[in-house]
Amino acid sequence: MTDVAGRIVVSGLRKTYGGTTAVDDLSLTVEPGTITGFLGPNGAGKTTTLRMLLGLVTPDAGTATISGRSYTALPVPNDEVGAVLDAAGFHPARSGSNHLRVYCTVNGYPPARADQVLALVGLTGASRRPVGGYSLGMRQRLALATALLGDPRVLVLDEPANGLDPEGIAWLRRLLRELADQGRTVLVSSHVLSEVQQLVDHVVILHKGRLVRQGTLAELSDRHGRVVSVRTPQPDRLLAALAGTGVDRARIQRAGPDSLQVIGLQAAEVGHLAFLERVELHELAVGRSDLEQAFFALTGQTGQQPALVLKEVS
Amino acid sequence: MRRLVAAEFHKLFTTRLWLWLLLGSIALTALYASLAIAFGDSPDNPTPPLSSPGGQRTVFSVGQGAGTLLAVLAAIGLTGEFRHKTATPTFLATPRRGRVVLAKLVTYGLVGVGYALVCVAVTVAVALPWLGAKGIDVPLSSNGIPATLAGVVAAVAIFGLIGVGLGALLRDQVATVVGLLVYLFVVEPIVTRIPALRGWTVYLPGAAANALTQVAQANQQFLQPWQGGIVLAGYGIVLAAAGTFLTVRHDVT
Repeated sequence: MTDVAGRIVVSGLRKTYGGTTAVDDLSLTVEPGTITGFLGPNGAGKTTTLRMLLGLVTPDAGTATISGRSYTALPVPNDEVGAVLDAAGFHPARSGSNHLRVYCTVNGYPPARADQVLALVGLTGASRRPVGGYSLGMRQRLALATALLGDPRVLVLDEPANGLDPEGIAWLRRLLRELADQGRTVLVSSHVLSEVQQLVDHVVILHKGRLVRQGTLAELSDRHGRVVSVRTPQPDRLLAALAGTGVDRARIQRAGPDSLQVIGLQAAEVGHLAFLERVELHELAVGRSDLEQAFFALTGQTGQQPALVLKEVS
Repeated sequence: MRRLVAAEFHKLFTTRLWLWLLLGSIALTALYASLAIAFGDSPDNPTPPLSSPGGQRTVFSVGQGAGTLLAVLAAIGLTGEFRHKTATPTFLATPRRGRVVLAKLVTYGLVGVGYALVCVAVTVAVALPWLGAKGIDVPLSSNGIPATLAGVVAAVAIFGLIGVGLGALLRDQVATVVGLLVYLFVVEPIVTRIPALRGWTVYLPGAAANALTQVAQANQQFLQPWQGGIVLAGYGIVLAAAGTFLTVRHDVT
């Protein structure tokens, strides 16, 4: 069951840095032939999880396997798994072409393979220039080219849209869709849901090192995309009542002096609660929020940050 | 392992540092050879006269100075993986990190042989005509000179292992290179002048290299050449092993 080719299985993974738990008892599965978004705010533990999956960081507990084996037990890892972990990992004085040829030599691929992947990511023209002169977007493309060298069954990409312009992001979406349609496993992390919303089939949402949601994008949309708007002269009482029923405070928002918005509850539930609490309602309406709101609600963010933020390179 | 070594050579030759440090080694060797010959017979020089086999061996040992620059090259080659974060793709391709360290040891040992052969040629080109002009006829096949030249090759190659080993242990590029240079040019020269420590200082890396290349100095004792070689190689292997098992396995973030 677990050793299906291309399947990623993470089980009970834990990592603590100093006193801070970066990843806490994390279990998840990523299936071949799908694009899975690995989502969470900065510091949620996404990168640490991916580095544990790839044998670069040793977990304190738990296991992570790809095609049923731990990464370090794969005979020729680059044949099976391609990874982009950041847009770094290049010697600034070495050309893009020579960078790729080093990894061709390590793995025994013919040097012509370097030219193929350079063409695939659209870097042929810049391949002889030192990487030190590349833009962030070009480095992302070169990192992706490195990941694709071995024609791997599994792709693990950490924030691959970082530094790409809108055209580059559209190109990345098409490429990843094509790769997934060929039956490959594609795991893409991002801290901006809207960036991958049109790309992914499945989502895994991480918050403070823990899994908060795993499922298809449609399930997430059904479950968390619904927003109930309430207008009442007593918003504070209703808010307190809602909070008292155990609804996550981050899912309740003041939308004005006399109105609230509640994500993830049925209108009937809110209306019934208002009835029980004898709170006067002037309006009770159901709408849809975008998934970004659901994402913020799940990860306890305020939603005040712009959808597209410039990210620091870690 | 053959592919890993080939990849290390590929990394080395796709940036220019090896060339600059080779030119530096050639210049350093020519300078040391000139100084050794020009001042070899001055009265306050601790080395034996140039007409003696010991004096000649000292002249032909100067190529070992390339060992310092090779150790710097090797240290930069290893620590550069961490500085430029190429450690991530490198260890993704080769998750058994000890194999990467081993490949670098082999690579920089071989590069050391190459550096040393060039520097031996430079030494011979400077020393033979100059000594001949002083009326000293040096037979390259005798007076222990073949052993000295072989010692230069071995010493420079082993300094490559030391550079890889120290780099593996410290991981930080600046700390490794500065530490290496400060040790070889400041710490060891001072320590070897403390008479009370004389029984110990023969085992230090610089002194072991001098033993290996049969440098002769009136005020300093050295080990036998073979002992020097074993001691020097021991430093490289112990540092590389310590680096592999202590620091190279740390998380790469």
